[in-house]
Amino acid sequence: VDSAAFHSKPIYFSNDYQLNKLLIEERLGGSIDLEQREFCSPDASMSGVYFYIQGLADSAEVANTLKSLLVYSEQMAGTRSGVDSATRFQSYISINSGLKLTPSLEDAILAILSGDTVILLQDSSNAIIVSTRGWNSRSVDEPATENVVRGPRDGFTESIRTNTASVRRRIRDSNLRLESMVIGAKTQTEINIAYIEGVVKEGLVQEVRSRLQGIRIDAVLESGYIEELIEDSPLSIFNTIQSTERPDKVAAALLEGRVAIFVDNTPFVLILPTFFWQSIQAPDDYYSRYYMGSFFRMLRYFAYVFSFTLSALYVMIVSFHQEMIPTGLALTIASGREVVPFPVLIEALMMEFAFELMREAGLRMPKPIGSAVSIVGSLIIGQAAVQAGLVSPTIVIIVAITGLASFSIPNYNTSFSIRLLRFPLLIASGTLGLLGFVAVVFAVLIHALSIRSFGEPYMAPASPFRPSDQKDIIIRVPWWKMKKRPTLANGTDNRIGPDQMPEPPESQDSRSDLFPPIPSDSSGLQAAEPELLPMEQPTKNKQSYWFRRLSGK
Amino acid sequence: MTSIRFLTILMSLLTVMFILTGCGQRQINDLAIVTAVGIDPGDKPNHVRISVQIVRPADIRGQTGAPSGGTGEPIYSVKAEGRTIFEAIRNLGKFSSRRVYWAHNYVIVMNEQYARQGISDMVDFFSRNHELRMNTWVVVTPDTASEVISTITGLEVVPGEAMDKLFRYNRIVSQAPRTNLMRLQESFLSRTSQLILAKVSLIPRGISNKKPSEYGSIEQVELSGTAIFRDDKMIGWLSGEETRGLLFFVEDLQSGVMSIACGDGSDGRATFELNEFQHKAQPSWEDNRIHFNIRLEVNASLVESGCQTSIRDMQATWQKQLTEQLTQEVEHIIDLAQNKYKADFLKLGETFHNKYPYEWKTIQQQWDEQFSQADISVNTSVHLHTPMLIIKPMISGKQEESK
Repeated sequence: VDSAAFHSKPIYFSNDYQLNKLLIEERLGGSIDLEQREFCSPDASMSGVYFYIQGLADSAEVANTLKSLLVYSEQMAGTRSGVDSATRFQSYISINSGLKLTPSLEDAILAILSGDTVILLQDSSNAIIVSTRGWNSRSVDEPATENVVRGPRDGFTESIRTNTASVRRRIRDSNLRLESMVIGAKTQTEINIAYIEGVVKEGLVQEVRSRLQGIRIDAVLESGYIEELIEDSPLSIFNTIQSTERPDKVAAALLEGRVAIFVDNTPFVLILPTFFWQSIQAPDDYYSRYYMGSFFRMLRYFAYVFSFTLSALYVMIVSFHQEMIPTGLALTIASGREVVPFPVLIEALMMEFAFELMREAGLRMPKPIGSAVSIVGSLIIGQAAVQAGLVSPTIVIIVAITGLASFSIPNYNTSFSIRLLRFPLLIASGTLGLLGFVAVVFAVLIHALSIRSFGEPYMAPASPFRPSDQKDIIIRVPWWKMKKRPTLANGTDNRIGPDQMPEPPESQDSRSDLFPPIPSDSSGLQAAEPELLPMEQPTKNKQSYWFRRLSGK
Repeated sequence: MTSIRFLTILMSLLTVMFILTGCGQRQINDLAIVTAVGIDPGDKPNHVRISVQIVRPADIRGQTGAPSGGTGEPIYSVKAEGRTIFEAIRNLGKFSSRRVYWAHNYVIVMNEQYARQGISDMVDFFSRNHELRMNTWVVVTPDTASEVISTITGLEVVPGEAMDKLFRYNRIVSQAPRTNLMRLQESFLSRTSQLILAKVSLIPRGISNKKPSEYGSIEQVELSGTAIFRDDKMIGWLSGEETRGLLFFVEDLQSGVMSIACGDGSDGRATFELNEFQHKAQPSWEDNRIHFNIRLEVNASLVESGCQTSIRDMQATWQKQLTEQLTQEVEHIIDLAQNKYKADFLKLGETFHNKYPYEWKTIQQQWDEQFSQADISVNTSVHLHTPMLIIKPMISGKQEESK
């Protein structure tokens, strides 16, 4: 890309009102959605012109601005003439919360194109930018790609401010920083870098900033553009930058010392650095009880292994290592394959292809006829192909399990990488047997161990092994056990205070506490004196859980 | 750039691999899966006849959703001859449309004549063959092996599987040793003890559904008895009852049945189930004489009583009787080993070797002789437990009334 296009000489406004107006008109080329109107105060003491883009600017806000401009211009008439009229305007009145001056034509153009209103006044070499951004955008909705049973239902939208706000709502910490950056020569897309000062890994923000600053591109339409331009291992099939639609995921990542990159016009926010294990972790793991979280997480690990290896293992065993199958199963498989005219490898490839086709078709089809795909697909793949004797029933089950397993991986990108890696593994196992299987699995493993994500080993904390980070990898330990932040995070402050494991109140005899003896001479509730209540009782050496809870300590 | 080159190489390798498919690869449905193999002496002298029971998967599993292409016959039994076992197996290839595959073999059946001629070539072949599993059962039959393996027997569709299960549930009756290829090798290579193998025979037992009146019109495979070997040659049989005495020595028995006369004047019999066997053979070496002390402790429980007297009265008598009978059983098998066959198939040499490794070296050469002259004493004790809730004999309520 020609760098001159990105660093053209800045143009500033002059004192000549007509020339300034012409400059803007010329630059925007009289687009049909550019609204432009000249105005004049009733006493003609002040005249000017305003520009905004229809649809991007909130027309009520524009009208409001204009009204107050005319009202105040009368009061301002004659005050301290000689000073730049825009400056005077800015310091004396406040018509809008976001109001600033700029001498630069580029800034003014960018403001117009961003939905702000630009006002040019006579006798001023500055343009007034009034924030009137307000366009129709999608409301905050449930994320389409990452569903949870328990957890917040809000997702990111296409508006970057809404997105950053929904993260800030979760972390009301003064150290949460948002840095702005504009990338894309044509699109001028706003990019925000979010991190928590003091928690974020040292040097990470500078690295992210410098990588982003190095990007020369004309357009950024989605965060995927950014992702591909700042990755550590651009040729790897694994994605070393996680993208998410969930604000809670971003907030959790920031609290673990990571950096998030918001890109305008997309609900997908990037999280980095990313470890492999993150793609298997779902938000539910942290919100449900830890037994459930750990169980389903382990289930997903199995699903990952299954979706990678199951069809390859089947092909390998059936075409090379028949002695490894228990006899009964061997006979069942053999009987199913009796009439199948293809080798197992071809059969498996056919079925995998058909399955991928079905998945893709289901995604691309217009929603109203989407259900037709599943009907046609399941009929063709599930039944007709078997009855026609083209494939064996076993391979249908194998491919279905493989597909189900790949659906259960929370991260779509990871599930895709495994879907793709399955094919070389399948071919290697179908042609070389166990040897090919092991070779490909090891090649993938060694590759995964060799790549990094923003300097962090991709397979950490399993390799290099970090003992204290194991509490959130295979299983999710209870929250009261997660004392420290991950090793990645900076700083030494703990996540959780000491002795957070809840316990019942300590008392000598719980029965007498819960049912205080009723004196015989009185009756009813009055008999129970307040000092008999368990929380009021002195405890032995440690204040009880309920005492702490109820007394607010 | 290096990673791009690496990827290119990888992709081209994968492509080549894909093109070269078929070398050494065989699909599971291109295999003739053998589930039983029989070895008979051949028609010509010094020939061996191999018969194999090959399954037809489509007929075994029936309609599996796919068109099955079955013929109705679950097994396909063929035989071939050759001068050696391998030659005979290769000759199977003359008419088998699929490659003969041994990994799923359940059982190897040897004919008695073959076994009496020596089985070392068979042991060698099946140990050397990498496809065979070590848990394949090995049996000897007095009938023709090819007949045994082509007989449809048991509830299973595959007769080989039926024989496999016969071995698995054999523990209840305890009438044959559970001899598989691993134990065959172990005994065969052992310097101390002689080889034993289970015996199967064809017994007309099955009842045809079409002609129920003709009892025993269908032959079934029965697993009962033992073949005794000296070195690699079979020398004789043990019956099913005799085998139990043998099993005390060579296996962990789980149960057995023993019935004795009531001993109270009535002509009924009491039947006991034996369990919790504890067996120990204690060798000793005194004055160049070998002595074995065999201790056997058994729990017995009454399972059926046709006697007129209550259990409480008879307990001591029965216990004594059971002990005697069990001692007799054990002494009988020792007598057979020492005097009739003069072969140590009771693994007593092994216990002696373990305890007296140096002395063993001096007598190793003439062990069979030493064994037959060894002094063996048997101590048996039977603990009789009865379901104490039913103490009196089962007598009809009407008869009791009349008493």
